[in-house]
Amino acid sequence: MERIAGLVCANYETKGLGVLTEDRTIASLPFGGRYRMIDFSLSNMVNSGIRTVGLITPYKYRSIFDHIGAGKAWSLDRKDGGLFILPGSTFGVSGSRSRFLMRDLKRNEVFLKRSTAEYIILTAVDVICNLDYRPMVEYHERSGADVTLLFSEASTDAPLDPGLILDGDRVTAFTHGVRAGENAFCACFIIRRTLLIDVLGWYATVGHLDLFEALEADLDKTDVRAYRCPGYIRRILDVRDYYRCSMELLLPEVREEVLSKERPVLTKVRDSVPTKYLNGSKTRNSLVSAGCLIKGTVENSILFRSVKVEDGAVVRNSIILQSCVIEAGASVENAILDRGNVIAAGTVLKGSPGNAFVLGKKKI
Amino acid sequence: MKTPVGKECIAMLLAGGQGSRLGALTKTIAKPAVSFGGKYRIIDFTLSNCAHSGIDTVGVLTQYRPYLLNSYIGTGSAWGLDSSSGGVSILPPYATESGGRWYEGTADAVYRNLDYIRLYHPKYVLILSGDHIYRMDYRKMLRLHREKQADLTVSVMQVPLEEAPSFGVMTLDGQGRVTAFEEKPAHPASDLVSMGIYIFNADLLEQALLEDSDDDRSEHDFGKNIIPGLLEKGKRIYGYRFSGFWKDVGTIASYHETSMDLLESHPKFDLDDPRFPIFSNANISPPHYVGPDAVVQSSIVGNGSRILGTVIHSIVSVDCVVEAGATVRDCVLLSGAAVREGATVTRAILGENSTVEAGAVFGSADGEIAVIGDDFVVE
Repeated sequence: MERIAGLVCANYETKGLGVLTEDRTIASLPFGGRYRMIDFSLSNMVNSGIRTVGLITPYKYRSIFDHIGAGKAWSLDRKDGGLFILPGSTFGVSGSRSRFLMRDLKRNEVFLKRSTAEYIILTAVDVICNLDYRPMVEYHERSGADVTLLFSEASTDAPLDPGLILDGDRVTAFTHGVRAGENAFCACFIIRRTLLIDVLGWYATVGHLDLFEALEADLDKTDVRAYRCPGYIRRILDVRDYYRCSMELLLPEVREEVLSKERPVLTKVRDSVPTKYLNGSKTRNSLVSAGCLIKGTVENSILFRSVKVEDGAVVRNSIILQSCVIEAGASVENAILDRGNVIAAGTVLKGSPGNAFVLGKKKI
Repeated sequence: MKTPVGKECIAMLLAGGQGSRLGALTKTIAKPAVSFGGKYRIIDFTLSNCAHSGIDTVGVLTQYRPYLLNSYIGTGSAWGLDSSSGGVSILPPYATESGGRWYEGTADAVYRNLDYIRLYHPKYVLILSGDHIYRMDYRKMLRLHREKQADLTVSVMQVPLEEAPSFGVMTLDGQGRVTAFEEKPAHPASDLVSMGIYIFNADLLEQALLEDSDDDRSEHDFGKNIIPGLLEKGKRIYGYRFSGFWKDVGTIASYHETSMDLLESHPKFDLDDPRFPIFSNANISPPHYVGPDAVVQSSIVGNGSRILGTVIHSIVSVDCVVEAGATVRDCVLLSGAAVREGATVTRAILGENSTVEAGAVFGSADGEIAVIGDDFVVE
């Protein structure tokens, strides 16, 4: 019997990411050069020894199914257990900040009922961390809590995010909004499977609620505790988070932890050729994916797969998604270019460090 | 397992060769498993060709140091070859009631696996080797084989006449039929050479291998014995002219030269062809990182590598490290190689997970190409 099953809740949208999530879900938002957001949650599950994972699908599911397939990249294409695709509800999720919608969980209760796992780890997909869940499970078991929430100190003010008021490790109240340094809930928690089924039963008639609203109402009779994330963790809720967190990957200590060799982030593999640097190119402090062709200058930037930087083109402090072409002499600074954009020769695109210029995905 | 139905064509891939002329690079692994082009292993090219040619049943004959090759090939899924009605099978030598022994030649290796071939009742058997860098759609060759109603078709290509003596040289008549074949002749009669790629009618192959196995004087080699024998018997042997890039990177010099050519802006063999991608079973490594003081020029860099020093005109494969102050020039760094602080490496090939320690100097701009094998440390 497996002790732990995973549930990745991907059925929500945010307006904060603007054009970056216009026709994709947060789960499939590209991140870190070759990954998509969901890779981090799925890899954390698999790298923690979890072999059964449910994925509550977002409404805009084309890109996520394209990416996940049968779960092969995560070794989740299994005869016993593996990846379960669980349909999310299609109404009323737009703009909702709810991560763990009761209706979605109730609708897929059969996944929980058929499971023989003792605990379920639930996580959202807007979290960037490389975390072994096993110590959190141990913590949960040792404390005897009903629910254990993952938290960390907020790195910035997040006026819409839930925070935790703690007494020791006991959660005594939730706040709506956190300031930098306060205890922010990291959209990941562990709960006994049978308790989760019970809670879903109690609140069956109010499916529009988030599981956390239910927990909040029951804080006096449920033992809810908090487990401090031992490492780097960031939530990506808007463009500013996305830009900042991406750029943090250029710091060696962040990169070595998040893109760890010991706990590799798994993702769909494409057979891109290695990247080629031609004579006269200048590349400094940058993360570069496979299949790129660099003739120009690239500094403090993240290049996704198959990006071309032509002669004399300059890319600085920018995030360039898959298959973009920066033509000769063009200059891109403090920008996020979504996939497939061709920046014509001589064009200058410039944002500011606090307010990156964002160019949406090229329409096919 | 499903009962295999008759297959049109299956492939037998000879991957047991040691490749002794590659020296340190094949000390612990077979030649087809040697890395090439930053993220590939030599066998990727042949397996990718099979995948793009619609061949879904491939027997891989292994013998020399097979573990890395076996685990690398796995189920064949990296090349899309994990088909339920065929797929990739690793075929090492095995014992029967009459005993066991090593494969004693290319023909012997296939002979000993005739039962594998029979399992699939193919019309044609494609014999390949896992030693070459090339892109080829075998379907075109098979089409010619059928059109000519050949018994055997051999893929041939033109080489400069002075290079012909190191190959099997074929003479073709106006219809493309092979009229003469000489293995490594001192005075070649033609500049067309065999690429070691054969399509046999399956029943003829079986018959020829059975006869060869009884011949005590035979070296049990396709080039030396089987093909000359069939030619002598007047069998219909045709040449399929191939005009693309094809290279045996069988020596350190040709391995280095072929690698360096990949760095040109228009290389003779372009790894990047979206219509015919080369598949590989690469590790999942993060994008590579180029540091604040790094210099990278005219080079290829693989995923997971970290470059803090200077890399000029070199191939840096997957998960390598070039530390600050180190200089790498005209080199091939295989996966996991590390060049520590201040070291200088010139015109060298560094084996997988090898290390050049801080401050060390390895290789020089003139003279022999310096090579260290896998896991080796230069101090």
